[in-house]
Amino acid sequence: MSLKRPIDGLFSRRALIAAGGGTAMFGGLIARLFQLQIMEHERFEVAAAENGVRLDLAPPQRGRILDRFGRPLAAHRQAGRVSIVREQANDLTGLMAELSKHLDISPERQARLISDARRQASFQPVTVKSELSYEDFSRLSVLAPSLPGLQVEMAATRSYPRGRDFAHVLGYVAKASEADLERLSEDTNAQERAAIRRLFKHPDMRTGRSGVERYAEDWLRGEAGFRKLETNAAGRIIREFDDPSLSPKAGRDLYLTVDAELQKFAIDRFGEESGAAVVLDIETGDILAFVSTPAFDPNDFVNGISSKDYALLRDDVEYSPLYHKAYDGTYPPGSTFKMVVAAAALEAGVINPNERVYCPGHYRFGNNTWHCWKKRGHGSVNMHWAIKGSCDVYFYEIAKRMGIENLADMGRRFGFGQRWELGLTGGRSGVMPDDAWKRAARGEPWYEGETLNIGIGQGQVSTSPLQLAVMSARIAAEGKIVTPRIIGDGPRPDTDIPFDEPLDPEIMQRMKAGMYGVTSEAGGTALRSGDLGLGGPRLAGKTGTSQVRRISAAERASGILKGDNIARRLRDHALFVAYAPHDDPKYAISVVVEHGEGGSKAAAPVARDIIAEALRIDARRTPSYIRTASAGSASGTGSGAR
Amino acid sequence: MATMRASSLDFSRRSLWTQLGSLPWGLILLICAMGMIGVAILHSATFTNPQEAGLPMRQATRFGIALGVLLVVGLVPIRWWFWAAWPSYLATLVLLVAVEFFGTTGGGAQRWVQIGPVGVQPSEFMKVTLTLALAAYYHKRWSDFSGGFMIHLPALALIALPAALIFRQPDFGTTLALFASGGILIFLAGLWWRVIMALGVAAIASVPAIYFFVLQDYQRERVDTYVAQLTGQSVNVMDDGYQIEQAKIAIGSGGWTGKGYMEGTQSQLDYIPEQHTDFILTVLAEEFGFLVTSGVLILWMVILGLGLAIALRAASLFARFAAAGAVATVAFYILFNVAMVLGLVPVVGVPLPLLSYGGTVMITTAGCFGLICAAHLGRNEPLNTGA
Repeated sequence: MSLKRPIDGLFSRRALIAAGGGTAMFGGLIARLFQLQIMEHERFEVAAAENGVRLDLAPPQRGRILDRFGRPLAAHRQAGRVSIVREQANDLTGLMAELSKHLDISPERQARLISDARRQASFQPVTVKSELSYEDFSRLSVLAPSLPGLQVEMAATRSYPRGRDFAHVLGYVAKASEADLERLSEDTNAQERAAIRRLFKHPDMRTGRSGVERYAEDWLRGEAGFRKLETNAAGRIIREFDDPSLSPKAGRDLYLTVDAELQKFAIDRFGEESGAAVVLDIETGDILAFVSTPAFDPNDFVNGISSKDYALLRDDVEYSPLYHKAYDGTYPPGSTFKMVVAAAALEAGVINPNERVYCPGHYRFGNNTWHCWKKRGHGSVNMHWAIKGSCDVYFYEIAKRMGIENLADMGRRFGFGQRWELGLTGGRSGVMPDDAWKRAARGEPWYEGETLNIGIGQGQVSTSPLQLAVMSARIAAEGKIVTPRIIGDGPRPDTDIPFDEPLDPEIMQRMKAGMYGVTSEAGGTALRSGDLGLGGPRLAGKTGTSQVRRISAAERASGILKGDNIARRLRDHALFVAYAPHDDPKYAISVVVEHGEGGSKAAAPVARDIIAEALRIDARRTPSYIRTASAGSASGTGSGAR
Repeated sequence: MATMRASSLDFSRRSLWTQLGSLPWGLILLICAMGMIGVAILHSATFTNPQEAGLPMRQATRFGIALGVLLVVGLVPIRWWFWAAWPSYLATLVLLVAVEFFGTTGGGAQRWVQIGPVGVQPSEFMKVTLTLALAAYYHKRWSDFSGGFMIHLPALALIALPAALIFRQPDFGTTLALFASGGILIFLAGLWWRVIMALGVAAIASVPAIYFFVLQDYQRERVDTYVAQLTGQSVNVMDDGYQIEQAKIAIGSGGWTGKGYMEGTQSQLDYIPEQHTDFILTVLAEEFGFLVTSGVLILWMVILGLGLAIALRAASLFARFAAAGAVATVAFYILFNVAMVLGLVPVVGVPLPLLSYGGTVMITTAGCFGLICAAHLGRNEPLNTGA
C-alpha cells in the first residue's frame, strides 16, 4: 500500500542490504566462536587446566594493644618460617630428610610433621619451624627452589614488647585449638563456620586465649582477604596481582588505660616478692597499673609453649606465675577493711565517733576470747584513734553492736562481693558474707561470733586487690562512685554498677582523717610510709594483714611464729591500701605482698613508692586516645582535665 | 487516502485491551526468554562470590521493570512519539551539556547528572532520542527530497553534536554506538554508494590520526593490547591483555557442549574481571559450549529480524526509521560486545543487552523494543505532516 513512494522501495532495499550485513557479521562471530571453541579447543583446555590464577587466603593483621600514651604492649614483628606443602611435594619423607640436614628436627617430630601434613588438606602448609634465625632463613630460602613442597617465607608474628609486664592483662594469642574454633563459631551459620575454620587453620592466624586478647578478639581480628596469585602448571607462583579490593583489612588498635612505665616501675619495686598492686585514677576510674607478679612471658605462648616449660609455670604453686593475683586472687582484707566497718557502724548509728572503747588487748564474747594485735592493749580509744592504731577490740565491739547485715550492706556498697567486668578474662567476686550467704554456702545460720572476725577483715570475707583499690578510691573521692576500667579505646564492657548511690561524704571524710592518721600522726601504724619524698603531699593509707593460717591458743601463748621461724608459705600476707596526695587525692592504690607478714613493714613502702612514682610521672594525664579540644587546652600543663 | 485516514482515527479509539492484544507477542516472548537466560547465567557467574549473592535477583527485578518500560513505550501511539521526537532530542542535548558542567564522575568518566533525587546518564537516553530525531527528520524532509547528497548533512550534524559531547566524558563505547546506529539510518535513507565508499576510505585513512590525537591514554592502551593479542604477541604484562587472554581460555575450553552449568572452572574461580557485566558471554560459552552459545546468538538474530520486519511493514517513514534505528542500536551492542569478548575488537566497555548485569543497558534495550512495538501498533498510520 505504501510502496508507491520511491523512498519506500529504497528503504526496503537498503534495509535488506543492512540485514544482510548484520547477518554476515553474526555469522563471522559464530565462525570465530567455532574457531575458539572447537578448532582451538584443546589448546585452551590445557591452558584452563594449567591456569593461572589462585586465590590464597590472606589473614588480617591483628590490631595492636597500646597503653594510654600509645606505647605498644602487643604488636607484631616479622619472623622467618619454613613449612611443607603436601600438594607440591613429590616425596614428603625425602623432603623431611633433606630438611633435617639443615635444621635440628628430632625423628619423632619429623614423623609427626609428616602425619600432620597427610591428615590436613593437601594445599594446607604445615609449619616446621616458625622462628628461624637469620642464617637458617637465608640458607633455606636459597634451597627452596630446588625442593618442591618447601615453603620459606617471612610472616608477621604477634609480639609482646614488654614481656612479662602485662602478661595477665593482655593474655596471649595462640593457634586456634578445636575448643577455640568451637567458641569462635558460636552463633554462626554453616557457611560462616566454614570460613572461620578455614581462616584459623592458616599458619599465620592466632586467636586470643586469655586477657584482653581474648575478650577483644572481634575488635582486634580484622577481616581476612585474599592474595591473588598467578601460578604455572607446577603451582609455582609467577606473580602476585595487586588487587586492593581483595586485601585483608587489619584489625583495630586498642588502647588500655594503663601506663606502661608505671607498671614497669611497680613490678620492679616488688623485686623477688610475689604479690599484686592496683593503681586507680580516682577521678576517672582508669586503672593505671595492674600488677600481678611474678608473671609468665606471653611471647612464649604465641608459637605454642613446650609442655615442659608450661609445667614449670603451672607447678609453681607458691609463686603461681600463671595466676592473675590482682583480679583473680582473693585475700581476707584484714585491717584494710576497718574503714568499711567504721562507716557501717556510723551509718547504722550504733556509735558516736567520739565515744571511747576500752582495749585491754583482748575481747570476750560468750565463752571465747578474741585478741587485739597489740597484746598490751590500746587503752581507751575513739574511732579516729582506733583506725590509725588499728585497734581490733574497738572493731569487735562495733561489729557486734551493728550485726552482720549492716556490715555486709556497707561492704557491698564499696564493691565487695561482686565481680568488676573490665573486658579481660577472669576476675573474681570474692565473698562478702552474711546470713543468707552462709545458709546457701554452708547450710548453717550465721553465728554472732563470726561477725567479730569480719569486723577485723578476717574469716569468711575475701576481696581482690582490685576491689581494695576501688574501696580506697571511693573513700578518697568522699563517697563518689568510682568504677574501675581498663579498656581506654576499644570494646568497653557494659558494666552495670550495683549500689551506685554515693556514700555519705561526711562519714567518708572521717575515714580519710583516720587514714591520714595511720601514716602521719603519732600512733599511726604506718608512720614511716607517709612521706612521699616529694616535699609536701603525703600519703594516707591503711595497713592490713591477711591470715594464712589459724593461730592456736598454744602458739599464741608461746609467741606467734614469724619470719625465718616458719615456712614462707605459712606466713601472713601483707596488705596496704592508700591514696595520695592526702589533701587532693588523685591516685588510689592497693598492694598485696604475699607472705610479706606485716602490712606496715612489707606492703606500705611498696605502695608509697609506686604512688610517688605515679605523681612524679603524672601517670593520669590525658591519654593519647582522647583527641578532643580539651586535650589541646590542657597541653600547657600536660595533665588532664581537673 | 481517505480510507487510510479513517482507519487511523479508528485505530486511536481502540481500547487499551485491544492494543495489548495486538502487540507483537512473539517478539516479546523471545525477549523474555533472553532475559531468563541472562538471569540464569548471572546466577552461575556470581555463585561463588557471596558478596554478589543478590545480583541475579536484582537482575530479575530489573528485567521486570524493563518489561514494564517496554510495554508503556510500546502502547504510546506512534504519533505521540513523532511529536515528542524533537523536544526529547533537545532535552537530552541540554542534559548532556549539563553533564559537561555539573556532572558527577563515576569510574573515571563524567557521565551522570543529578536531577532531583535521581542520577541520570543522558548519554543512554540519547541512543533512543537520536533515533527519534533522525526518524522525524527524514520523515519531514522527504517531500522535498531530490535524491541529493545535501539532505544527509543535517542528519550527520544531529549525530555529531551529541556524539562529540559524549566523547568528551569520555565514553568511547556510546560515541561509537551513536555513529553506528545513526550511520545505519543515513544509509537506509539512501546515501549514495559513491559517498559511502569515499567515507570508508577516509575513515581508514584517519585511523592513525584518531589514534594519536583523539584517543585518551587508556583508550590507546586498549587498542595496543588489542593489536598485540591479534598478532599473537605476549600480552601478559598488561591487565587488559590478561582479561582478553583469560576470556579466550574460558571460551575455548568450553568445547561443543561446555563444562556444565556452574561447572566452569574459569568462571567459578573468578579469573575473569567484569565477568558478570561486559564479559558475561564467557560464562555462557565455558559452561554451555558452542552449541548453546551460537544458539543464543541466533536467537538474537531472530529477535532483531522480527524487529526489522516490523520496520519494513510500517506505513510512515517515521515509524520505519524509528524501528530500524532501534534495531540498529541493539544490534550494535550485541555485535560489538561479542566481537570484543572474542578478541576481535578492542575492549571498549559495551555490555551485552539482556545478558550483562546492569540496569542502564536493560532500560535502553527495553526502550528500543518499546519503540519497535509502537511502530508495530501504529503501522497503518501515515503521520502526514501537512494534515
